[in-house]
Amino acid sequence: MSLIENLKSYSEGINVSSDKKKLLTSFFEKGFPTIQDEEWKYTSLKKLISEDYSIGKNGSILSDLDISNHSLGFENKIVFSDGKLISTPKIKGITFSDFSDFECSTADTFLQLNSALANNGFTIKVDSNTIVDEVIEILFFTNTENSFNQYRNQIIIGDNAEIKFVEKIQNLSNSTSFVNHFTQIDCGKNTNVEYNKIQNNTENSKLIDTMNIFQKEDSTCNINTLIFGGSFTRNNLNFEQNGSNCESNMNGVSILDKNQLADNHTFVDHKQPHCTSNEMYKGVYLGNSKGVFNGKIMVRQDAQKIDAFQSNNNLLLSENSTIDSKPQLEIYADDVKCSHGCTIGQLDEDALFYMRSRGIGITEAKAVLTYAFASEAIENISILEVKLLAQKLLAKKLNVDLDFSV
Amino acid sequence: MSEKKRQTEEELLEKVTSAEYKYGFTTDIESDTIPKGLSEDVVRIISAKKNEPEWMLEYRLTAYKAWLEMKEPEWANVTYDKPNYQDVIYYSAPKQKPVLDSLDDLDPEMKKMFDKLGISIDEQNKLANVAVDIVMDSVSVATSFKEKLGDLGIIFCSISDAIQEHPELVKKYLGTVVPHRDNFFSALNSAVFSDGSFCYIPKGVKCPMELSTYFRINEAGTGQFERTLLIAEEGSQVSYLEGCTAPMRDENQLHAAVVELIALDNADIKYSTVQNWYPGNAEGVGGVFNFVTKRGICYKNAKISWTQVETGSAVTWKYPSCILKGDNSIGEFFSVAVTNNFQQADTGTKMIHLGKNTKSTIIAKGISAGESNGNYRGLVRIAKGATNSRNFSQCDSLLMGDKCGSHTFPYIEVKNNSSKIEHEATTSKIGEDQLFYCNQRGIGTEEAIALIVNGYCKDVLNQLPMEFAVEAQKLLEISLEGSVG
Repeated sequence: MSLIENLKSYSEGINVSSDKKKLLTSFFEKGFPTIQDEEWKYTSLKKLISEDYSIGKNGSILSDLDISNHSLGFENKIVFSDGKLISTPKIKGITFSDFSDFECSTADTFLQLNSALANNGFTIKVDSNTIVDEVIEILFFTNTENSFNQYRNQIIIGDNAEIKFVEKIQNLSNSTSFVNHFTQIDCGKNTNVEYNKIQNNTENSKLIDTMNIFQKEDSTCNINTLIFGGSFTRNNLNFEQNGSNCESNMNGVSILDKNQLADNHTFVDHKQPHCTSNEMYKGVYLGNSKGVFNGKIMVRQDAQKIDAFQSNNNLLLSENSTIDSKPQLEIYADDVKCSHGCTIGQLDEDALFYMRSRGIGITEAKAVLTYAFASEAIENISILEVKLLAQKLLAKKLNVDLDFSV
Repeated sequence: MSEKKRQTEEELLEKVTSAEYKYGFTTDIESDTIPKGLSEDVVRIISAKKNEPEWMLEYRLTAYKAWLEMKEPEWANVTYDKPNYQDVIYYSAPKQKPVLDSLDDLDPEMKKMFDKLGISIDEQNKLANVAVDIVMDSVSVATSFKEKLGDLGIIFCSISDAIQEHPELVKKYLGTVVPHRDNFFSALNSAVFSDGSFCYIPKGVKCPMELSTYFRINEAGTGQFERTLLIAEEGSQVSYLEGCTAPMRDENQLHAAVVELIALDNADIKYSTVQNWYPGNAEGVGGVFNFVTKRGICYKNAKISWTQVETGSAVTWKYPSCILKGDNSIGEFFSVAVTNNFQQADTGTKMIHLGKNTKSTIIAKGISAGESNGNYRGLVRIAKGATNSRNFSQCDSLLMGDKCGSHTFPYIEVKNNSSKIEHEATTSKIGEDQLFYCNQRGIGTEEAIALIVNGYCKDVLNQLPMEFAVEAQKLLEISLEGSVG
């Protein structure tokens, strides 16, 4: 059975509201997007959706060892096992709760599917003026074979609050897993939020991750995406600036090999004046890997004095790796400074020669240069543990025994 | 910014929107026009009127059949009322079909028109050193310097003459770069094109003068569908210019042209366009729909360079492209696109790298004023076999006024790991500090803007042949007179 048939038989067995039914009907009529669809031009879903998945099943119980093995070691953890929320931390000023069925109108097929059928996820409410020093770690474990899971998460941050998150999705089964993940963050006035995504799942895991961020005035939001693992990763990162003086920062590092595919779609909607956005995505492609980048910056008519910067740099390090990049600027205001840059190239031969002539092996020399290339985006992460993990994973991926942290 | 200054700026902007299109006159020339509408019969009539051989009619009919099955593209970031293709006159020719011995025999009315447009069709005027082919409505009316070029073996004539006189060349190359089912507009053009220019440069010949085609829509309700085919044999070199104007009319006139360039081994083609079709009035009424397919193919060591200055048309849909098929071939694209009032432009280029060591450069400068929208849409594709390819792209946009928009849609697809691609784009307005600097030194605001805009476009204007560079600069001044961002 294919995914769409799995979904059909699953949805027949459950009761959903009439609104959701409508969404489902339109989804089944429309089906999944194809490469004819501009948003999916470079990423084919064909293989992904032709596989057979099990929906809504629970696997064996998670052991503490599983958790500690995959945790970054933070004390405050939110843990999910096959969709079920199994633990939440206790922090003053923050309310943690289970899935809440919040609304979000969208034309995106995967979000519609998520709206219609998701019944797992978390809700976090941060009270105004709460400043949290500790990092909140969110772990999503998949235990069932060939599972298809959907999460729908909401984070509401009160005015003047500051908070940091680290998120990881981990497949513990030996077979495939497919997660359709959606997170919405509402940033109150003068908030400061950092959200780190570590996408280092097993070789046959698939992920479609959509994150919608709504910012009020004077808020700063930083999203860091680190892609090392998984066979298929699609990130849709959308910012909507609804107040003046907002800052949206995005950093992304993808280091891929074998047949991995990573597709990063970002969209910043500058709706109000005096805002900034900074975007830096770095990609390193080895083996038969494929990278896609689509960065869109929209400046609305009355959003004057906007500074929007975007850069996408890529290293193609193997014969069969490919990259498709599409930076986009749509600008309807005149008093703005917007730029995008995109480069695709290789490691500098002279620099490699310089290092090799000083006794550094080719693999190590390449790794050092690659790290230097990616470090610009890694440097912007404020959490030391995440930064160290990124460095460790990079060394592992490049097959060298080097410690980049010193 | 002080309130007063903003006010003067608004006045200045007001002035821009009222800047008039000076080529908007119509000329009273008797013409032979067929009824409106498109059908297989119309295609047959056009072919018959031009006394074409059977294979040409076949070509047109296959294109027509393909067109019937195609849909008008909607992906471009422009909005317009789609033309009713049954409401267009597909063939209109000046009655006096000039089988001229010399240009002195030309209809005086027509001559007057070209004097008004400032185009020299006087062969005696050696100073200009430009051979001109003039296409009015659908038909080529005059070609100058034909004999002088003939001595070198260069064929420069209208495409209808070429079909009659050099069928082997036309048959060999027509539709090889832009196949008839390439897109909606190229299919339409292939079916109904009535004339255009044909140019053939023999092996090793360096064309001694600029070749030029001047396009003019005169008749009301007609569409202009011209076809240009330019073949540069091995080791030859040519510089080709094209200019266009149209009368002011309240209706939207359709222009769907196809240009094909073939640069064989070691050949060098430079193709420059100054496009100044009627852009419509300040309220966005009327104007020409400019839907053009331009593409060139480069064989070994060949080079194609597109330069365009786009100031006219209500809607522009145009992507001059290069297929870099041969090793070491070079493609270049230099563009200035100016939009004002309610104009919309979706323009850019495609660079398809197939051969090894191929290089391409893209410099696109957009200027948007009034309530217009300018788009850059480009594709750089590096195929797997295109080892050591290199691309550099730069797209800058300048915004003047807070109601205009400027957008960039670059597509970059790389399948080869020894290639280097750089792309950068910026959007900004003319800095207040830049203007202040000029004002401080006694340069008035308007002159300062002209200065800054000229500097901004310099990279592109420098690529134009001298005669055209002057015209382009003047056009820029007219289009943007007094606008402050």
